[in-house]
Amino acid sequence: MIGGLQLRKWALASLLVAASAAHAAAQTQTGTLIFAVESLGGQTLDPILEGRPGNAVYQAVMYDSLVGFDFAKGGVGPGVAERWVLSADGLTWTFHIRPGQIFHNNDPLTAHDVKFSLERQMAPNSLAAAAAVMRRTIKSIDVVDDLTVRVNTSSPQIGLPAGLSRAVAPEGAVMPKNYLEKVGEDEFRRKPIGSGPWRFVRSVPGDRLEFEAVSHAHWRGRPNFKNLHLLLVPEESTRVAMVRTGEAAIASIGPETMLSASRSGLEVLAVPGTMQAIYQFYGTYRPEFKNSPVANPRIRQALSLAIDRQQIIDHIMNGRAKMPFPFATFGYTEFLSHERWDKWAREAFRYDPVMARKILAEEGYPNGFELNFANTALPGTQYMVDIGTAIADMWTKVGVRVKLRHYEWGSFPPLVRGDQPALAGGGSMFRTAGRPDIPWRYNSALNTEGVGERLLGDASTCEASCREYLQIHTDLTAERDPVKRTALTDRMVEVVANTWLVVPIIEGMGYYAINSRRVGEFAAIPGRHELGDVFERMPRADQKPWKK
Amino acid sequence: MVFMAVFAPLLAPHSPIDQTLRDKLLPPAWVDGGSMKYLLGTDGFGRDTLSRLIYGTRVSLIIALLALLAGGGVGLLIGIVAGYVGGAVDSVLMRVVDAAFTFPAILFALLLSITMGQGLTTLVMAISLLLWASFARIIRGEVLALKQRDFVALARVRGCSAARIMLTHILPNVLNTFVVLVTLNIGVVVIAEASLSFLGAGVPPPTPTWGGMISEGRGRIADAWWISLIPGVALMLLVLSVNLFGDWLRDRLDPRLRQL
Amino acid sequence: MLLCLVATIVFFLGRLTGNPVDMILPEDATGEDRAALIKTLGLDGPLHEQYLIFVGHALQGDLGTSIRYRQPAVDAFFSRLPNTLAVIPWALLLAMAVGIPLGVVAALNRGNIIDRLVGTVAVLGVATPSFLLGVLLIFVFSVELGWLPSGRMGGPSHYVLPVITLSAFLVAGFARLVRSSMLEVMDSEFVKLARIKGLSETVVIWKHCLRNALIPVLSLWGVFIGNLVTGAIVTETVFAWPGVGRLTYEAVIFRDFPLLQATIILKAVLILSINLMVDILYAYVDPRIRLT
Repeated sequence: MIGGLQLRKWALASLLVAASAAHAAAQTQTGTLIFAVESLGGQTLDPILEGRPGNAVYQAVMYDSLVGFDFAKGGVGPGVAERWVLSADGLTWTFHIRPGQIFHNNDPLTAHDVKFSLERQMAPNSLAAAAAVMRRTIKSIDVVDDLTVRVNTSSPQIGLPAGLSRAVAPEGAVMPKNYLEKVGEDEFRRKPIGSGPWRFVRSVPGDRLEFEAVSHAHWRGRPNFKNLHLLLVPEESTRVAMVRTGEAAIASIGPETMLSASRSGLEVLAVPGTMQAIYQFYGTYRPEFKNSPVANPRIRQALSLAIDRQQIIDHIMNGRAKMPFPFATFGYTEFLSHERWDKWAREAFRYDPVMARKILAEEGYPNGFELNFANTALPGTQYMVDIGTAIADMWTKVGVRVKLRHYEWGSFPPLVRGDQPALAGGGSMFRTAGRPDIPWRYNSALNTEGVGERLLGDASTCEASCREYLQIHTDLTAERDPVKRTALTDRMVEVVANTWLVVPIIEGMGYYAINSRRVGEFAAIPGRHELGDVFERMPRADQKPWKK
Repeated sequence: MVFMAVFAPLLAPHSPIDQTLRDKLLPPAWVDGGSMKYLLGTDGFGRDTLSRLIYGTRVSLIIALLALLAGGGVGLLIGIVAGYVGGAVDSVLMRVVDAAFTFPAILFALLLSITMGQGLTTLVMAISLLLWASFARIIRGEVLALKQRDFVALARVRGCSAARIMLTHILPNVLNTFVVLVTLNIGVVVIAEASLSFLGAGVPPPTPTWGGMISEGRGRIADAWWISLIPGVALMLLVLSVNLFGDWLRDRLDPRLRQL
Repeated sequence: MLLCLVATIVFFLGRLTGNPVDMILPEDATGEDRAALIKTLGLDGPLHEQYLIFVGHALQGDLGTSIRYRQPAVDAFFSRLPNTLAVIPWALLLAMAVGIPLGVVAALNRGNIIDRLVGTVAVLGVATPSFLLGVLLIFVFSVELGWLPSGRMGGPSHYVLPVITLSAFLVAGFARLVRSSMLEVMDSEFVKLARIKGLSETVVIWKHCLRNALIPVLSLWGVFIGNLVTGAIVTETVFAWPGVGRLTYEAVIFRDFPLLQATIILKAVLILSINLMVDILYAYVDPRIRLT
């Protein structure tokens, strides 16, 4: 017979034991988190040698970025810098660095490292994608004190901090100045160090990358696993097989595999708002296409009405996609009137084949017309090809006879340059990644110069809407007042949306198959396809099982 | 098989290309959930497997025949010329053939399809590149042996030009070998088409080919096995029957070719 | 000589496929940015100039720097080569272990149903696209049965499925060759002599016929090793095996010209040297056995 007091003692004791065990579990880092991924890019750990996708997948785990994420909403948030302020004249950004950060060799992270890193990204031998842009826009960088850096620009650059966030681009990666200068570039590439929550262990070319968790607290999150292995497995069915057997905890997959994966008992995760599948028309402003059907905005609108987006979402994307916002806009986009555009999109992107046919007839094409359409997709994104095939089919059903040509992704960019002989007068599939700032993406598609697609007009032909767009874009670059910025952004979206030249089909997601016995339940960052900033926040399976 | 290809439009119960997305991923008729409407099930787009299989026969066989004729034809020509003319021409041509052997064939096909855009013609060209070298080598061997024969010497004595000899005397005699080679290589060609589809250089959708169908369905082996396995089985049967036929043909036509 | 031809073909064909710059640049690059990157990568200048530069470097042993991996292309190749080479001998052995007995059985039962049956089994390996075979093997043995790992390099258990997939293709070749070779030998003079001498049938077959029948098999080694080195792309992709096949494929997709050129040239060198060794081996083996 156990007396009341003894019972209480027992209860208290077991409570204490449980509490300390839980505390210990929270403190211990054990186990290996294994992630099977399709590509490790160039598999180089020097940030200036890798492109955006590679950086996001594997460099992000060991390097911190000057500007970070808003983990809840997606988009930009504090990073290595806690906050940043724009000067009155708009030509200087001052970044205030979070104190107490250290590199993997215990060197403290200071403003000197930030200045060094930015300059390294901009250097002539840097292969960073934005190097040239940075050289054009950044005039100089000053270190004010150990925790303050000033970036001086040659013209007002409202979007500069966003450009240094991994939500947008990888050029904000902070590299260790003292270490690099001491050991030299070659040694740094062999034994890289950063300030991220994971430190580099080894790299087997073409096979894997191994990282080990840091043991101290980190503002990104102290990892719950001791080790992180990123395995290169190009074939998707093999990746899924590895998750099923438990050889990997997480694998990146495509939407077509989501269904089989969950049927096999795996957890699946879809990261919202990571991309849009879009289609666009080229060269429609050119004089030779004046009387062509695709030069008519109403006809282009009809084409959008002929697409049953919901069916594409349900069947090609297996339900794991959303009706889109206007081109290149997402739920986390900055300076946008979200409610207005949500309502607009619901109405504008509806499925109305009757109306589509009516418009075609009204505009003089009751029997339809012929349309050249180019289908292309990033390697590994078969669903994009399927979407292209599906909308071609839907257009055929309203009388538009689509001539579908298929291009391998690498062969596509040359077609977009110069006179666009293969594409002008027709359309193609395309995509846009999820980013919180619009002007940058609009510019690459709609600018009248440069290597972009020049959808709205080119150097010789720039009509009304083209000119208006250019004007808004210029105003936007220098506009500081948030209210005015929002108004300008809304106007820019409106101008482009009404041309129906570049039209989103669906808002896609990043897809993962997960073995719930190997990793606990976690949430990804909205809009960010890659898991590079999420690994440290993933619990172990014993810590937080997937809710059933 | 050939019968199916020719009469495809009449046989197929549904259009192979039209998508009925709502009907997608239905299993074949003999599995739970299947129906007689779609005898062999449907794929991810709601396209009937049976119809696609039938139409695909047409496409795959066309590709195979064209590639064999093209690649084989070139190989035949080179083999004859090299074997008969001999000397420097022979050396040079055989060097080129050797080079072709050391070149990764599949990659060459890939490079070609990237350069020229994907499509039927490109695929045919790419696959014929795989074949010509082996054809050339074997035919050349035959020609070398033939060259020594009496009737060739006779023709030469009579003053026939080299070209005439090659055309009227050599060619008919190597045709046997050629035919055997063609039949034996049909399997190779169809498999190559499948591998190229896997690598992303095959015929673009929505055109059905057996290789393309197998490649498309490979991620779904676990739950929708029929998409890959049915064309896979068909392919196997095709290759088996063609090889048996080729063996029989070879035994008939020329026992000397047993080394093939 | 041969190498020059191969190298030239690769060089020009590769350049025809596009420009890696387009895959690296961000979407908002200007024309100048593109020109600058082209210059950095050494892709500017007329094609024949680039070719001469390439040849010049190549003769000194420098086959360029991989655009994608930012390391000397030769290094990238040699770091993966052992992985491919590790698998080849096993695939050959397995193919021979299955193919040779099949060929013998077929030869001994010439003309009857067993011959046909054996022929069919042998051809099965060639009749299935290797990626389908690989995916199926993974599904059955790794996922459903859990006996073997799904892919990637590792301990011995990781070798099983890739080796099976690779060897499937070769079995038919060995079987067919052994069969015809055996048939020839069985008819030959000295075998008849052995029979007359009264040696038992088993000894005749296994000791005399087989030995001689196996000589031509060596000639297949050269061809098959060549096939394996150049053609393992599909298997390497399915099993995530970091070998040179996959490396070359990626070089094509990403237009990594220096890497593509280097891998193809080095592969050609490899195949040529292996063929040479096989030829020597053949010459060595052949007359010696005749003396027996």
